[in-house]
Amino acid sequence: MWNAILSPDFFGAILRAATPILFATLAAAIAAKSGITNMALEGIMLFSALFGVIFSSLTHSAWLGLLITVVIGGFIGLILAFFVLNLKTDEILAAIAINLTATGGTVLLLVAFSGDRGVSTSIKSVSAPNITIPLIEKIPFIGEVLSGQNILTWLAILAVILLHLFLYKTPLGLSIRSVGENKDAAESVGINSRKMQYIALVISGALAAFGGFYLSGGYMNMFTKDMSGGRGFIALAAASMGGNTPIGGFLVSLLFGVAQALANVMQLTATMPYEIILMVPYLTTLIGLGVYYYSQKKKKERLSGK
Amino acid sequence: MKKRVLSTAMAAAMVVSAGAVTVPVYAKDEPYKAALLINGTLGDKSFYDSANEGLTKLQEELGEDKFTFKVEQMGATSADEAKWEPTLYDYCDDGSYDVIIVGTFQMMDALTNASADYPDQKFIYFDEAFNFEDGGENIYNVMYKQNEVSYLVGAAAAMMTTDETLDKVDPSNKIIGFLGGMDNSVIDDFLIGYIQGAKDIDEEIQVAMAYVGNFYDSAAAKDMALTQYQNGADVGFNVAGSAGLGQIEAAVEADRYAFGVDSDQAAKLPDYAANIPSSAIKNVGNSLIRAIKMDMEGELEYGQLEYLGFAEGGVELVEDDHYKEVVPEEIRNKVEELKNQIINGELEVPTALGENAMSEDEIQALYDSVKVK
Repeated sequence: MWNAILSPDFFGAILRAATPILFATLAAAIAAKSGITNMALEGIMLFSALFGVIFSSLTHSAWLGLLITVVIGGFIGLILAFFVLNLKTDEILAAIAINLTATGGTVLLLVAFSGDRGVSTSIKSVSAPNITIPLIEKIPFIGEVLSGQNILTWLAILAVILLHLFLYKTPLGLSIRSVGENKDAAESVGINSRKMQYIALVISGALAAFGGFYLSGGYMNMFTKDMSGGRGFIALAAASMGGNTPIGGFLVSLLFGVAQALANVMQLTATMPYEIILMVPYLTTLIGLGVYYYSQKKKKERLSGK
Repeated sequence: MKKRVLSTAMAAAMVVSAGAVTVPVYAKDEPYKAALLINGTLGDKSFYDSANEGLTKLQEELGEDKFTFKVEQMGATSADEAKWEPTLYDYCDDGSYDVIIVGTFQMMDALTNASADYPDQKFIYFDEAFNFEDGGENIYNVMYKQNEVSYLVGAAAAMMTTDETLDKVDPSNKIIGFLGGMDNSVIDDFLIGYIQGAKDIDEEIQVAMAYVGNFYDSAAAKDMALTQYQNGADVGFNVAGSAGLGQIEAAVEADRYAFGVDSDQAAKLPDYAANIPSSAIKNVGNSLIRAIKMDMEGELEYGQLEYLGFAEGGVELVEDDHYKEVVPEEIRNKVEELKNQIINGELEVPTALGENAMSEDEIQALYDSVKVK
């Protein structure tokens, strides 16, 4: 078991498993920063996994496919925003509607484009490439971990940095955060809260679309029915546990990736029932959440002098 | 309140069904009508497709005036689960179907309820053993001896993993892989056959086992399978629905082998065929054709469970040109020999199902005996 854990393959597996979670976690974080829980991430990811396959095949290009997918992801975010902000729908209900539409809708579209209902193998899609990094590639171990990862994994890490800069170093980011903190106070200083939440949800949808694209065009090289597999929901927990900050979300996603890769290795030697092993990633998240909120509570109590 | 609504609905349903049972009696010239309710969707390239193909073939053979069928796709996700039982009840209510076909362990509860509430409706239930202690006099239950076909897969895998002539294996170790969807008795049966087949070839074989936990998360499945391949497994076998496609992608990425299941996956995934030596098939379609033909003659015995193996055409290992291309002749001959031994009864493959089932402890002991060290 230790051999398996200490191999570069193990660290590669962490990054692979963490990438879709990380995109979705960032998506959840920015929505939360603007004061909205974007529970539609799961559906947006599932839609995007299918759109990635369809559009990369139609355009014969992973990049054009990714671009179109991300635009549509942003558009779904916009639809969610329209329902929640203009029509005053409950944000959870609107999100559930999107998720359910995705479950059935992806199968419907898959049939229309490929004639299949389960997998997209008859569509010749183009996946995002894996990147070998010259020089670093030659370093033993580290080179094997870092080089050969999918480019979307690097984009995810880049997204962490960009989102951090956006939220904390730009006036627009400040406005979004202030709306999330206190809508009325933000309005009182002339910030258009609805506009801020629109922007946040569109970015959120676009980020989730990156994660969805990665599932079928990087992680796997085909779309299979329901392949988002609950990652959109895990991301909500991960974002919350990371304090809805990009850096925090990154760390939690990595933790989840570690737990996932560890669970896979644990299954290899099967020292305990697999049902327990499969719980490891979720249990880790749950315990992490508990620890985080407990420490938050303690901190608050200390500050308020109770 | 909820209970009252339900019981009213049930009572209403029973009245309707009681009225409907008389229909077939004076409708002799009507075609035989079957409804296939699948708790998933077509296009699984697996046994729902096989069932559909079987019924289509039967219709082509007999003509639409003798046999018609309808397929209802109920979806497989947790959000769809709530529809399964009501849909089954809708079809029972309809009353015009000579037989309603459902399958898999997930439909067990719904079928148990429906068969009790509609004693005059006939059902065919495939791929899981129905508990006839709770009734079910109107159910014909068909199961497959998947242990027989997976025995051959296990034997082939064990021979392949040490074969120096194959370019996609590392002959230095004796590890093979298995990826299951969930731990249930059918998948146990697959695994037992697989392990026994491998052990009978090579007592020192080790089997890396993993379960996805569902039948749809192909990406997670891919990583599990990759972990197996990266740690020495050369040949894998998946029994995990569409999640199993993850193992096939992993095999391609690691340049190893993966046996397919439930449909000819090499034929259906031509881009990956070089890594798929063959597939283990439960011929659901064949078994439905057999059952419905028997039922038309009035020979199908309801209230019973029947296991179909190699001898009855219920299972098969795909042995086409592709198989001959990938698998060396020596191994194929041995597999053929084992198959004939199974058919003529010389060789009995241990099973997790039926009267001769292994006990939980025996199964666990078998698994432990091949654990990866």
